[in-house]
Amino acid sequence: MTIATEKFDDNPCRPRHFKPPPCVAVIPDGPAKQAIEACRTRLLVTGGLFALVFAVVALRVVEIVAVGGGTAESQIARFRIVATPAPSHADIVDRNGNVLAATLDSPSLYANPKQILDAAEATNKLVSVLPTLGAAEVSAKLTSGKSFVWIRRHLTPVEQYSVNQLGIPGLEFEHEERRVYPDGDLTSHVVGYTGIDNAGFAGIERGLDGVLRGRREPLQLSLDLRLQYILHEELQRVIDDFTAKGGAGLIMDVNSGEILAMASLPDFDPNHPIFPDPEHPAVPLVDRMFNRLTLGVYELGSIFKIFTVAMALDYGTSTVTSTYDASHPIRIGRFTISDYHGKHRVLSVPEILMYSSNIGAARMAVAAGAQRQKEFLARLGLLKTPKIEISEVGAPHYPAKWREVNVMTIAFGHGISVTPLSFATAAGALVNGGILRQATLLKLPAGFEPAGQRVISAKTSEQMRKLMRLVVEHGTGAMAAAPGYVVGGKTGTADKVSGRHYAERKLLSSFVGVFPINDPKYLVLTMIDEPHPNKQSHGYATAGWTVAPATSRIIERIAPLLGVWPVDESSPEVQRALMVESLQGKRIEAY
Amino acid sequence: MIKLSSVFWLVLVSLTGFAMFAVKYGVQSLEDELNRAKRATIAEEHAIRADEAEWAYLTRPETLDEMNRRHLSLGPIATKQLRTSVIDIPLRFAAPLVADAPVVSVAGQPPESASLTVPVSTIAPASPEKPAEVMEPAKPAPAKTLAKPAASRRPRSLDELIALVAASR
Repeated sequence: MTIATEKFDDNPCRPRHFKPPPCVAVIPDGPAKQAIEACRTRLLVTGGLFALVFAVVALRVVEIVAVGGGTAESQIARFRIVATPAPSHADIVDRNGNVLAATLDSPSLYANPKQILDAAEATNKLVSVLPTLGAAEVSAKLTSGKSFVWIRRHLTPVEQYSVNQLGIPGLEFEHEERRVYPDGDLTSHVVGYTGIDNAGFAGIERGLDGVLRGRREPLQLSLDLRLQYILHEELQRVIDDFTAKGGAGLIMDVNSGEILAMASLPDFDPNHPIFPDPEHPAVPLVDRMFNRLTLGVYELGSIFKIFTVAMALDYGTSTVTSTYDASHPIRIGRFTISDYHGKHRVLSVPEILMYSSNIGAARMAVAAGAQRQKEFLARLGLLKTPKIEISEVGAPHYPAKWREVNVMTIAFGHGISVTPLSFATAAGALVNGGILRQATLLKLPAGFEPAGQRVISAKTSEQMRKLMRLVVEHGTGAMAAAPGYVVGGKTGTADKVSGRHYAERKLLSSFVGVFPINDPKYLVLTMIDEPHPNKQSHGYATAGWTVAPATSRIIERIAPLLGVWPVDESSPEVQRALMVESLQGKRIEAY
Repeated sequence: MIKLSSVFWLVLVSLTGFAMFAVKYGVQSLEDELNRAKRATIAEEHAIRADEAEWAYLTRPETLDEMNRRHLSLGPIATKQLRTSVIDIPLRFAAPLVADAPVVSVAGQPPESASLTVPVSTIAPASPEKPAEVMEPAKPAPAKTLAKPAASRRPRSLDELIALVAASR
């Protein structure tokens, strides 16, 4: 390292063939050496820095490639366009799986006016595909200079498609959902309806909102859409025939408490509940929203006599052969209790029910006493608010002090108001063998009989079935007969309360029918509010002429759907099963 | 030797790098495909929901009733149509259909088939109105209900159609 290079290099005349000795680093001394050292250091530092940067890049590449580069942002960026989430509310279906309420995608259209290039053209195009939009309104929105304006909420798929086809930049869709009720008003009071954010406002939608929210599989109701249609149609027919204010009806499985159909008329379309009914524009919204079966409480009248008779038989204060004097009206306080079509003689218990004698029923109840009557009605659940899956339920009205006059009027269904639902539940218990089961709108497994509570003995229940058969065979409910289906039942025609008095000629006619009464399966309750007599009914608007024939038609139509086989009503087995011993061999007077 | 090993490592590194990227892109495209499939599935699910709702709307009882009135005119099942149970329906060989009656009697019928004892002439004309009564072996229908000749017209209800089919066999 000691060879001095300057010895050759500084010679400009060095011959060409001169070959310098092998190049060896000559470390100069002094300032030159220092300069070279500095150079080398800088080179090293720079190289080191570059290496570091490359190493970082390489490591990053390895991280991205090998480890997956899984930062949250990158994942979100890739998955962002994954489609709309699952619906927020489960569907509602009937017992056969027919959709009653569904949640559908319903995109809403909004615009960013700042991105709209030609507002006039965009307006024209939009109005051409969405004709219900007002051109002036859209134009005002698109020239507003804001960055977000709603154009239209809840588009149909076809509308969304045609808006997309326009290809206007600045129009966007927001994912939204909408509850759709394919059957419209048919199940309105049961299913209910929802508001714009799908919050339940009535019916099952409100009562079971928490269950429907976040549930994936559909909620199955006990309703049968076919029966619902038949009930709805027949009720509407009675209402039209007798120009009534409204009506209501339900069909119930007496052995399980399942409600197979429930209709209250007039009703509403849950798809747009506040719109007026196109067929009856004059009916106020409050009336249409009102569920007469569960929320309405009524003095149901004579159909309550089945409870009076059952009470007297079950407590043993009367027997089937007991007789009560119904020859004269009873005067008590300012009331006079008389019979509508009185026989004016002494009546036996079956006759009291058959001919619907108010006097007889009142005397029967007085014989049993207020204590027993109140206790019995409480046992049947008639003195408390009914429990059901929908939230529209009405509390019963009954006298705080149960005086003798109350005992008498309650015996024939006046002075106590209950919901028709409570009535049907209790009536079901009277005929099904004596077990009270809570009514439900949810489908139960086939053949499952929920635990109930015994309210009357099986023997009393059997007697009640026989007596209710008599009403249809010979009594006030003759027009409810549906040959082959062995209908039993009871009519009820109540005077409506208006203010503090009973209104003249304002009736509430109802009929409870059970079939086949020798082996009770289904109960049909029909009720009509303020019917007016017509020519066919010979001037009557009582239950026997209004709802009883309707019940007959309903039973004849629904029995084949329910798998109830018609029997020969005169066959010895049926006759024996429904025989009332005390009336054997006697001539039964026609009503 | 040094040079050879350098080449070896270089090749190995490039191969590994290449393979890594190839796998990475492969996975990426599979993920994209999966996403597309998921999106398509969800879109289909929504379409199915919409179709189900539409089906429910198109088959609501009101529409079916209206369609029935217009095209089928089917009525509710009357009690008399349900008078017999399945057990009461005779087996095929024991049920002489109207047109077959003479042939069947030649083939040797069990004697309990009471309808065979009825003269052929009383049941011979096809009875489009009351096929069920012809089927009842125990008590043959009165001749007057059967006397209506088969009219060659279009059946107005399913009952008539069934009767016509039964008669033409």
